Amino acid sequence: MSKSRTPLSTGMSILLAGGLTSVILIGAIAGGNEPRGRKMVVPPVVPAAPVAPPPSFVSASGFTLTSASIELPDEASSFPDGPGADVVNANCTSCHSASMALTQPRLTEAQWHSTVVKMRETYGAPIAVGDIDAIVDYLRAMPSQATPAGAAAGLAVNEGDGATG
Amino acid sequence: MILQRSRPPLLETPMSVFDQSVFTPNDQFFVRWHWADIPTSVDATTFRINVHGHVVRPLSVSLTELLAMPRVQMAAVNQCSGNSRGLFQPRVPGAQWAHGAMGNAMWMGVSLRHLLDVAGVRPGALAVRFGALDQPVVAGAPDFSKSLALDHARDGEVMVAFAMNGEQLPLLNGFPVRLIVPGWFSTYWVKMLNDIEVLDKPDDGYWMAKAYKIPDTPMANVSPTDKDYPTVPINRMVPRSWITSIAGDHPVAWQPTLPIGGIAMGGDTGVSRVDLSSDGGRTWRPAQLGPDQGPYSFRRFDGVVPIRGRGAIPLMTRCTSTAGVVQPMTPNWNPGGFMRGCVETTTVTFG
Repeated sequence: MSKSRTPLSTGMSILLAGGLTSVILIGAIAGGNEPRGRKMVVPPVVPAAPVAPPPSFVSASGFTLTSASIELPDEASSFPDGPGADVVNANCTSCHSASMALTQPRLTEAQWHSTVVKMRETYGAPIAVGDIDAIVDYLRAMPSQATPAGAAAGLAVNEGDGATG
Repeated sequence: MILQRSRPPLLETPMSVFDQSVFTPNDQFFVRWHWADIPTSVDATTFRINVHGHVVRPLSVSLTELLAMPRVQMAAVNQCSGNSRGLFQPRVPGAQWAHGAMGNAMWMGVSLRHLLDVAGVRPGALAVRFGALDQPVVAGAPDFSKSLALDHARDGEVMVAFAMNGEQLPLLNGFPVRLIVPGWFSTYWVKMLNDIEVLDKPDDGYWMAKAYKIPDTPMANVSPTDKDYPTVPINRMVPRSWITSIAGDHPVAWQPTLPIGGIAMGGDTGVSRVDLSSDGGRTWRPAQLGPDQGPYSFRRFDGVVPIRGRGAIPLMTRCTSTAGVVQPMTPNWNPGGFMRGCVETTTVTFG
């Protein structure tokens, strides 16, 4: 397969595996190599840093559901530089990572045009009509679109194709 | 996990995970969201499921109340409509999944029929629509919701699940509750389900009327040059099977026979048999099936195939469902990249 695949970062794996961030308190250990007979300096008692309360939960009939939270990674989501990159960044990345476009197989101009129009008209991307061609040009010029194993010429393009599922 | 996209998250399960067990661990279960505005925190004490619309008694069900209701449990495969889209030829737009946009779990929850009966469905109801906590990023864009025909929603199998493999659902898999629609594609398995609306007219919303539509043809198959064919909302899954014991990503020493194993699913019913081939599909021999975890679960299979020579050998598996549906050799194609169901080939080079 020629698809580009990125291993999930360790950080995200941990997030996915654990979901909740645990707070580890490391207590200071007094003592050590103090010279005999010398008064040991005892640090003043410092109030413990506030610890987040345990998450709330509900429980009934032997099953418990505990409130959950997660931090999602903030991927650098801008598109690589190139003609039209500014308009692509301004119109596409509020809804999805650049990777969604960068991992697409080679598509025909009609397929890219249909995709951009769908993003604008169906999914509400704030694309000005006059910018559609510039976005299509940028997407077709992405290095990932240069691979020869591409879409067949003469492919019919139907409204609503792809991009879901 | 294989990161396909971080925002909104698309995470694919590596095939090696499926070799360990027919049940997919919660922390390795595929993830797919449509909109980037996903709640990153859900409070179990304030969450409510609203049941409303064409009902006698609208409900606002707390999780404590849900946990106290009669429970049902079922193993079921959750598979993305676009699973294996990356293998479509000609290629099609969309998330470029390999085979890992799927997983199997033991789900526990409350029958949707029970919730609907408590609310009291009024005469004239036609469908039930499901909404969730996630929201479009852009105002006015279509909020994600799906619907099922009323008879389907009340079949006693569709479940509002709060447990997955014995634990609460991970947030990315829909904590605190998601809809389980056994035998149907994952697009209906609404995550973070908090809205159940009984409709007295068909759901004409975007996610039913426009998105996730397939050609109304056998195996949803059309030619890439076809246009203007009738379409229907994607629905039941079809039989599939995969070798998980060997990936074919590096050469192995020649041996006269090779043990192979993997997982199969019957689609909307159980697995009747799995056959194995090591000669491009000319001859087949039956595999042994593992324990039956119910008709909607993955089923393990194992067998041994002859390796007749050195070089690249295509290894194939073919599932037959208990309804007698057999995986075809020829890939199906449609412009959405939906519902792939052909016999898959793992090519292993023997040196």
